[in-house]
Amino acid sequence: MKGGNTTVIEKLKEDLFSLMLDAERERAVAMLLGFARGRGFQAAVNDLLEPVLQRVGEDWSRERISLAQGYVAGKIAEDVLLAAASSHGDLRLDVKGPVILGNVEDDYHSLGRKMVGVFLRAAGWKIVDLGNDVSPAAFVDAAVEHGARVIGVSAMMLTTAENIRAVRAELDARGLSGRIRLAVGGAVFKLRPELVREVGGDGTAASAIQAPALFERLWAGEPESEVA
Amino acid sequence: MTSLERVLCALGGEPADRRASTLALSLYGARLTGCPVREYFTVPRRYLEGQREVVRLLDPDILFTPFVLPFEALAYGGEEVWLDRFAPNVRKPPFRDPDLAEPLGEGLLLDPGVGYLVEAARLLAGEFGADKPVCAVVTAPVDLPAMLLGIETWLEILLFDPERAAALMDLSEDHFLRLTAAMFDAGATFVACPVMFANLRLVTPGLLEKSILPALSRCFGLSRGPVVFHHGGNRIEDHLRHYEGLPNVPGFVMDPRDSLSRAREILGPRRLILGNLSGPALAGTAPEAARALASEILADRAADRAFILASGHADVPFDTNPDTLRAVRQAVLDAGAVK
Repeated sequence: MKGGNTTVIEKLKEDLFSLMLDAERERAVAMLLGFARGRGFQAAVNDLLEPVLQRVGEDWSRERISLAQGYVAGKIAEDVLLAAASSHGDLRLDVKGPVILGNVEDDYHSLGRKMVGVFLRAAGWKIVDLGNDVSPAAFVDAAVEHGARVIGVSAMMLTTAENIRAVRAELDARGLSGRIRLAVGGAVFKLRPELVREVGGDGTAASAIQAPALFERLWAGEPESEVA
Repeated sequence: MTSLERVLCALGGEPADRRASTLALSLYGARLTGCPVREYFTVPRRYLEGQREVVRLLDPDILFTPFVLPFEALAYGGEEVWLDRFAPNVRKPPFRDPDLAEPLGEGLLLDPGVGYLVEAARLLAGEFGADKPVCAVVTAPVDLPAMLLGIETWLEILLFDPERAAALMDLSEDHFLRLTAAMFDAGATFVACPVMFANLRLVTPGLLEKSILPALSRCFGLSRGPVVFHHGGNRIEDHLRHYEGLPNVPGFVMDPRDSLSRAREILGPRRLILGNLSGPALAGTAPEAARALASEILADRAADRAFILASGHADVPFDTNPDTLRAVRQAVLDAGAVK
């Protein structure tokens, strides 16, 4: 019986993965909601969504799938989490964190940040999203106010990535470096990985889907052996 | 041979006195003349003066019009950002609401930023065009909406709102054709078009086939002159089969991570290939390393007549050591004739 159940789940995961790659957002969400009606949102997320997102993330980091396909995966996750929240069902949201997210000062390219937020939420993190063009003081104030141990700062271009140095300086000035860790990300860090250290980042992730693992490590205070 | 003859030899697969070569040194002219970047990128004559110094330093075989694609988006509004050692960029995209994005029509060429781009092309072509090809750098029609609305909004529309996507693509096509026509009228020899949203690292296979390639095909086919396809920051070696049928495209600027041998296999012996240095990476490369890298590429392509040594990715950074650039040129001279 258990083997049969496993086969069904594996088939559903395969179908969900295909729907994500084909950008079939509505059909993918319908499938997940149908599963949730029978077995609950927690099972829909744990048994289907998370493992498929994991696979999407691995393929994305190996450039086997596109940004658009990763984006669709994020939208599907977002739709399901919204449905779960409004159903007041069994899915435990916001059980980790909170963590702070935002685009660094002068940066208005929100795609990466929003995708990171979706995948963190799907992994149970409570997010305080400060939006675009966030000053260094606002990042650190929010982290102190909410008791966040990780700040995620997004910057798309080299010119704006340089502004992350000011967030690090703000943490240093308040004696919070080490206690509050700095995750950095954005397109420019893929092109120039050495920038992570240069601007004062404690770590980065190759794609939004890999952000939850990064935030787990940073939250736990683990050293990032390979920030690039 | 003049640079123009050398480039034409590469285009025709003919022997040449030496390998044609170029680096994207649009911004670098400001460093060479000491002109403040803001003045350099607003006064066409300052740009010409900078490119004169580029010619004096390196004598590249192709000159570029200002590599400031954001000016095209800023013609529609939005906020720009200026920094001391960088080309200006879009700080805030012009539109939050995609329905507010309307074609500018003839107004496009009246915009000061776009007018600057065209006038700089006219000055460059007037002074150098007889001997050196002038390449106008123009935003790909499939990428312009991302600059107008932000990447996320354009992606969302492409994926889930085909009607609105078609309307934005119409706007972009009109923009591309007006601007490229103005550049060719100003004397540009060809257009280089960095293309991001035709890459399967960004879009889905369905979007590429149904929306993106047909739009590029229409625009490139209607362009008044040749359009060199620039990799746009992503590898394209594995995409060349999708692109090789695009009309009016004599060649491809490859991503520095691409294999030129593989590209040649796919494109056949006559199609022009440009590459394979990274412009931004030259800033962190010592002269000897740059010379060794360029020599290695040139040795690999020694038997390939339809190859031009060029830099890909973005412009060469302001802080790049001029000796590094001279070292690349020395490697070209050392490599000798194209037989």
